Amino acid sequence: MGAFLFLFSFLLISLLFPDSAIATQGHGGREGLYIHQLSHIFFFISMGILIYWLKNRRLTAKPGWRCIGYSAMFFILWTADAFLVHLLDEQLGIIRTERVGFLEIAIHTAPDHQWLGHLYYLAKLDHLFCVPALILLYMGLRGLVIGAEAEKQEG
Amino acid sequence: MVLTALPILLVDLVGSVLMIVFSFLCLDLVRMLKRKDPGNLIWTYLLWVCYGLGTFAVSRSAGHILKQILLLAGHEEIWSDIAAYSGTINTFTLILVASVTLFFERIWSIYGRILADKRALQAAHGELIFMNQNLEKLVAERTEALARSEKQMVQADRLASIGQLSSGIAHEINNPLGIILGYTQLMLRGEDRNSQKYEDLKIIEKHVKNCKAIVEDLLNFARSAPPAKEMVQIHEIIDEGINFIRHHSRLEDVEIVREYDPAVPPLYLDEKKVRQVLVNLMMNARHAVGAAGRIFLSTRWDGEQRLVAIRVEDSGYGIETKNLPRIFDPFFTTKPTGEGTGLGLSVSYGIIKNHGGEIEVESLPGEGAAFTVWLPAVLSEKTGYKTEYKKGPKGQKGRKGPDGGGGRIGEGQGEKIGEVQGERIGEVQGGRDGADDSHR
Repeated sequence: MGAFLFLFSFLLISLLFPDSAIATQGHGGREGLYIHQLSHIFFFISMGILIYWLKNRRLTAKPGWRCIGYSAMFFILWTADAFLVHLLDEQLGIIRTERVGFLEIAIHTAPDHQWLGHLYYLAKLDHLFCVPALILLYMGLRGLVIGAEAEKQEG
Repeated sequence: MVLTALPILLVDLVGSVLMIVFSFLCLDLVRMLKRKDPGNLIWTYLLWVCYGLGTFAVSRSAGHILKQILLLAGHEEIWSDIAAYSGTINTFTLILVASVTLFFERIWSIYGRILADKRALQAAHGELIFMNQNLEKLVAERTEALARSEKQMVQADRLASIGQLSSGIAHEINNPLGIILGYTQLMLRGEDRNSQKYEDLKIIEKHVKNCKAIVEDLLNFARSAPPAKEMVQIHEIIDEGINFIRHHSRLEDVEIVREYDPAVPPLYLDEKKVRQVLVNLMMNARHAVGAAGRIFLSTRWDGEQRLVAIRVEDSGYGIETKNLPRIFDPFFTTKPTGEGTGLGLSVSYGIIKNHGGEIEVESLPGEGAAFTVWLPAVLSEKTGYKTEYKKGPKGQKGRKGPDGGGGRIGEGQGEKIGEVQGERIGEVQGGRDGADDSHR
């Protein structure tokens, strides 16, 4: 009953005072970047939880699930790396890059933060984490296929 | 700082291609798993993860490749138009994969429960099918077991009553017999050894002693005296029994085969009384085989039940089915008058029950008989295995011999005698050595 009254009052106020009503929000700002960064954090947490459950359920004793656990670890490294790159060049804007030649890039940092340039350069090689993650996932799935076939043969 | 973009470019392009390739390979493997076991919830879960990862990998990698190509070609404005879409799909699929991954534990738990329920259902289904297919057989078996159990209970009640009656009578007769024997022996002292009266008194003394021996046997059957227990090796007792019957019977054409289980532990029992039982059984076997035949003696240790089985088997003429329920009854004998008192097996029964054990007989007429003595043993901290008073082994269940009940002993023909709740009425030692083959 209380909830109904609240809802009714809310609608009534919205109709009577349209200027104060909550209208559709615009998305012209930096939301895209933030939601992308949040998706990386969410992915990081999700993979961490997966590793926890794999260990908790003692599935890491089986080769297939163990590889999937390693894959999740590499995905964590990758998502952290990608998060860092976005943070440096888009979110904080402390790194700025420009193409200066056909195969050369200029990395601009604050004068006393040259090391950030090197870190950024290395972090841009994020495929070094996500490709092994997928390879390990593939190996893990293969292990599951082999295990399932062996189980089927054992009856 | 200016650095070469080649490593970034190469890793980006090659990595993007590899990501697409491996994401599709992963998807292919999971689909294979799913095809093999469509009902498996884990495979469904992995399929969703791989769908998400595949979409993410394609979107991201295609975006990266396109980006590099467009940038190298100098079309940055085109990429800036596409980048928003690519980034959105990347974000969406990344969240999708992360969301699906979070459900791993719940999926696994549900799948575990499904599997457990499935197994329980399969077991119940199997049991139902078995019951359905074997209903008649099971009912017949249960009916037979019930009938056997009732028969055993009746037998046990009867033996208990006989035991009480016997012990009462024996106790009452024992005292007058003692007085008669005492007076007879007193009178003998004053008599001339060559006189007729002396000879008459000796006859009285002899018959009174016989009567006393019978009374003692009856008291043994009634389990009136607690056994004087000590640690003994049962195999030594059996060997002594064999030596005894070798000295008292002609065994030239009788083959005695021994098969002892080395795992049988030392037993805590009344050596004299158990020897009496074994000698009794061996002598019965000896009489049953006649001039030539085979007596098989074996032991077996049942570690699970903590029981020792001593089996005396002969190749004689066996016991008639109608006599099986009565062979442990006092004074029951098929031998001619004067050749047996019919107390040997009754006494053996009483002694074994007094040790917390059981004695069983299996026989088919014309095919020999097998007596199995079961003696319980429990582990004692100080002395190893030790017998204890407890309810007879295995209750109502039928038991087969050490050889698994095969051979000449017909299934369902064997007879197990129930428990006698005898009354203890006083200390009586021993009983007579030697045999009484009343059941033959």
